[in-house]
Amino acid sequence: MNLRGEYKLAKKDREDIFEIRWKTDLPYKYSIGKLSVKFFEVLKKERKLLGSKCPECGKVHFPPRGVCAECVVKMTVDDMVEVPPRGTLVGFTVINYPFVDPQTGGMRPFPYGYALFQLDGTDTYTMHFLDEKDHTKMEIGQRVEAVFKDEMEGNLGDIPYFKIIKEG
Amino acid sequence: MPEKVGIVGIGQTKFTSKRRDVNIPEMVYESVKMALDDAQLEPNDIDAILIGNMDHFEGINFSEMWCGIDAAPGYMKPVVKIATGGTTGSSLGICGYYNVASGIYDKVLVVGWEKLNEGGATTGIITAFDPVWERPSLAGALGPLALMANMYMNEFNVSPETAAMVTVKNRSNAANNPFAHLQMPNITLDYVMSSQTISYPLRLHDCCPQSEGACAVIYANEKEAKRITDNPAWFHSVATSHYYTFGCDDKMYDLPTATFASKKAYKKAGIKDPIKDLDVAEVYEPTSWAELSWTEALGFAEPGKGGNLLREGISQMGGELPVNPSGGVLSTNPIGATALVRIAEAAIQVMDRGEKRQVPDAEKALAMGFGGSLWTELAILGNEPPR
Repeated sequence: MNLRGEYKLAKKDREDIFEIRWKTDLPYKYSIGKLSVKFFEVLKKERKLLGSKCPECGKVHFPPRGVCAECVVKMTVDDMVEVPPRGTLVGFTVINYPFVDPQTGGMRPFPYGYALFQLDGTDTYTMHFLDEKDHTKMEIGQRVEAVFKDEMEGNLGDIPYFKIIKEG
Repeated sequence: MPEKVGIVGIGQTKFTSKRRDVNIPEMVYESVKMALDDAQLEPNDIDAILIGNMDHFEGINFSEMWCGIDAAPGYMKPVVKIATGGTTGSSLGICGYYNVASGIYDKVLVVGWEKLNEGGATTGIITAFDPVWERPSLAGALGPLALMANMYMNEFNVSPETAAMVTVKNRSNAANNPFAHLQMPNITLDYVMSSQTISYPLRLHDCCPQSEGACAVIYANEKEAKRITDNPAWFHSVATSHYYTFGCDDKMYDLPTATFASKKAYKKAGIKDPIKDLDVAEVYEPTSWAELSWTEALGFAEPGKGGNLLREGISQMGGELPVNPSGGVLSTNPIGATALVRIAEAAIQVMDRGEKRQVPDAEKALAMGFGGSLWTELAILGNEPPR
């Protein structure tokens, strides 16, 4: 076992237990697929969002998917279509509990707004961070817009969050 | 024709937040030994083992190798691991049925377990999702369950107090179940309503705990079941329905898999009206809101009317269809065991072994598992063999 072990008798004021603690780094690689590569290239260079449109049923998936689950039909980069960075709030919450983020190994900062929305012209809901921590200021049906970073890197962090907007 | 299958032995550990007195195999063995003793069987009487948990919740891997052979009586026998998220226990329970119904094995032991205090369920759940698209904002299961509750309350104008009634019912029921984790005989609506909001609209007591423990169940074909006990719980139907939602692409509260699976399971078991034809239901409710809307999906109430089951007393103890006499998932959630506990508790009811949590004259019981990406698994058990 890759064990950086440390034998430790727990403090008496916690619990009368014997503990062995260890921390293990387990780095992985993940192939994101051609559609996601295209998405992040276009996001970085053109600050635009792409979904994928099923050639069979016409359903627009966002984020882009490689297969339309209903038709069981493959979609390629040729089926990718631009979608606007605006949509409608479908559901929301404010995450207000602590947990270790497996992406970083540290605690995920909280509270944070977490929402489900539907981008205009798409047929799917998608989830992301929402720049609002007060649930009384959120309402289903509100309009939302993606916020882009100034310096784009080609990952989902380029859209740190969506924000609630007022239109016309 | 499939063999008729009966449950002939059940073992549950006392579920609790920490079992630091035992390691994983010791905890698994505890439930296995209870189930073997319950059926008055020896380890050698078992033909095959199905074992399940969600390894990455404990930061381990391939645990069936080191707790499915000696902790469960798997020596020189087929041992198969099943891990399907929240449905792990019902997948185990249903696969146990398949293994015996197929005629391949006479007696099978299934065991589900989890030791959640040794890792992080939220962290583990996040790793089950797409690393690029889903993990960054996902906060385990509670985030999507909060979105679901938010959409449901908005669609049908349901009050948080209605959801809180579910917690009051289930945690007070849990006080009658010696194995339940959170037993709160004197819980009040105010107590639930005044707990902290941890993910709007979910308050702390709208949510299940993280539990440690194991549940083992022994299955036998008709001939063996009748030899082992004069009181088996018989499988009348099972149904599994899977679904995929990328990035939470669903309203979730209407749980289409529950509607689909329940229609299938009811038809096979001859259930025309679940309220009348079922005597008790063990429903998988990770949150209070989930019981409201998923009992609707199971056909117990019209959409948006799940609260009426509580207000009219239907789902309360003594009602027409008590839901979760055991205390349900809101009282006890050792993930890999949770849905198997639903099956075990449904069996306990039709075996008339529920003691303080017994529903009088329970002849037909429904057990539900929920997990994965909005998956539903159902089993209907009866006190008589299916015709």
